[in-house]
Amino acid sequence: MKAKLPIAILSALLLFLPLMLGLNDYYVFLTTLILLYTSIVVAWQLIGGFGGQLDLGAGAYHGLGAIITGYFMVYHGLSGWVGLVLSGLAAAGVAFIIGYPSFRFGLREVWYALSSLALVLILQKIFLLWTDVAGPLERYIPYMEFDPLFMKSGYKVFYYYITLALLTTTFIMVFRIKKGKTGLYLMSIRENEDAAEMLGVNVRKYKLLALMLYSFITAITGGIYTSMVGFYHPTLFDSWISIQTVTLAIAGGLGHFWGPPITSVILLSVQEYLRITLGAVIIGLHQVIFGIILIIIILFKPDGVGPLIDSLTTRLVKLQR
Amino acid sequence: MVGADLSVPIVQTIVFGLMLGGVYALAAMGLALLFGVANLVNFAHGEYIMLAMYITYLVSISFFQDPVLSPIATIPAFFGIGVLTYFGVFKRLIKAPPLSQIAATVGILVLLRNLALAIWAAEPKAPPTTVFASSINIGPIIIPMDKLLATCVSVAALAALNQFLERSRLGIAMRAAADDVEAVSLMGVDVGRLFLLTTGISMALVGLSGSLIMTYQAVTPTSGLLFGLLTWAIVALAGLGTVKGILISSTIFGLADSFASGLWDARGREIVLYGLFILILWLKPKGLFGRR
Repeated sequence: MKAKLPIAILSALLLFLPLMLGLNDYYVFLTTLILLYTSIVVAWQLIGGFGGQLDLGAGAYHGLGAIITGYFMVYHGLSGWVGLVLSGLAAAGVAFIIGYPSFRFGLREVWYALSSLALVLILQKIFLLWTDVAGPLERYIPYMEFDPLFMKSGYKVFYYYITLALLTTTFIMVFRIKKGKTGLYLMSIRENEDAAEMLGVNVRKYKLLALMLYSFITAITGGIYTSMVGFYHPTLFDSWISIQTVTLAIAGGLGHFWGPPITSVILLSVQEYLRITLGAVIIGLHQVIFGIILIIIILFKPDGVGPLIDSLTTRLVKLQR
Repeated sequence: MVGADLSVPIVQTIVFGLMLGGVYALAAMGLALLFGVANLVNFAHGEYIMLAMYITYLVSISFFQDPVLSPIATIPAFFGIGVLTYFGVFKRLIKAPPLSQIAATVGILVLLRNLALAIWAAEPKAPPTTVFASSINIGPIIIPMDKLLATCVSVAALAALNQFLERSRLGIAMRAAADDVEAVSLMGVDVGRLFLLTTGISMALVGLSGSLIMTYQAVTPTSGLLFGLLTWAIVALAGLGTVKGILISSTIFGLADSFASGLWDARGREIVLYGLFILILWLKPKGLFGRR
């Protein structure tokens, strides 16, 4: 209950942030992106942070969401809201098809990470060759000034609030799972899979459940992204999204609840700032810093930023008294 | 004569596949060595190959005007990079859990990929064509000299490495460390130095293979991802990282690559290669020759 005040302040801040940015479309777009990627990081907590499976498939599920939502909006005039649900279900389906045999055959550690990364590239090439749905050309979603039922708007604020709703939902879901039985089961799998299985935890079932929930959320981020930028293309199956997600989650502290989202908001903001200032000079330089941060954190602070936040909050609580 | 019409492209595809396999074997050997001996997961292996390709490009446009001579520079340069990487990162990682190893080397991956993007931009870079860029014809079968040369050098280097691992004291210590590090250190081998040299040799192999790949191919900052997954796939299929195992496994992947791009669609080769990789992990998790 002690966290009530900070959460209230944070919620108010996030709720009125677009107004504080003066409804400037560009800044609202950037903050929406940051919240979108943070949602993936929070969802990744389920499979990676609690379950201990280093999943690099975020790019695959994000891309699936983008392409499926985009495809139905462009070719069938279907509302983006329906598209989001469909793409979430499709991604969870793909996650099941890939995850079931992977967990059944005991894929772990590096092999699981590699196979999930391979999935990103396989799906990218499949949709590059599947010209009825995607192909090498960008497909554009018809422009609408403001059509909330179709989930298409020229004002980026619209997407900001959709993303905020997604982030909040994801937060609550992950929090409840962490506090519940499923979270404990997942963390026992992370600590020692064999011991967990021995004690009667249905390892395969809980890993699969975590993977499917995470892929569902990640697909929805892809759908929102594609409607916001107004087009889709197979390059949205982006291995960078996978790598970024894992980097942020680990830098924030594996399994820590507040560490990864806070780290991801800070680091993504820094990254966007550097992209604006350095990106025009030298492309890629702003992401070099990402790599360095990850290496330094693993070598010198393997628990990430999470414990730091803990000690900070306890100090704050003491100050209040 | 329908059979004869089809047999020519198939034989041609097999020839290309065998040549690719030879080159891929060298690319994967460095990874297998590091993974086998030091038990270190290097997620950035492909990025090091990409870096070797860029350095080959740089060296061959500024000095030799021909990528064939560039291993003179890349092999020692990459041994040095290996030593630096060992002291900078790997030394602290060797006893770390796999998750930390993956995360830290993903950091190296991000660093190298974006460094390449910052320095050389996203356009493909190719060195000047080598003097071997001709081809010989055996009947209807075409054999490009540059690829043949790359394959021969690669296989020769692997044969030399095999001799080194079988005969030399250091090689024997490496193979022993792959079996049981504790025992090796009890026998009086300086394990730290052994891992340092393993990293150096692994990277020297990467340097050579990057130069060889560069004789017939261009490089972009995302090349690393392709080679990273491909080399991991080869190691997964081989199981134990013996030279023989890697050669057989990389030949299978070379043939798969060649058949996918020759008989289907060049853009679909990654679907076939990575699909094969995932199937191997599911159905043959210990590889062809067993893994601990």
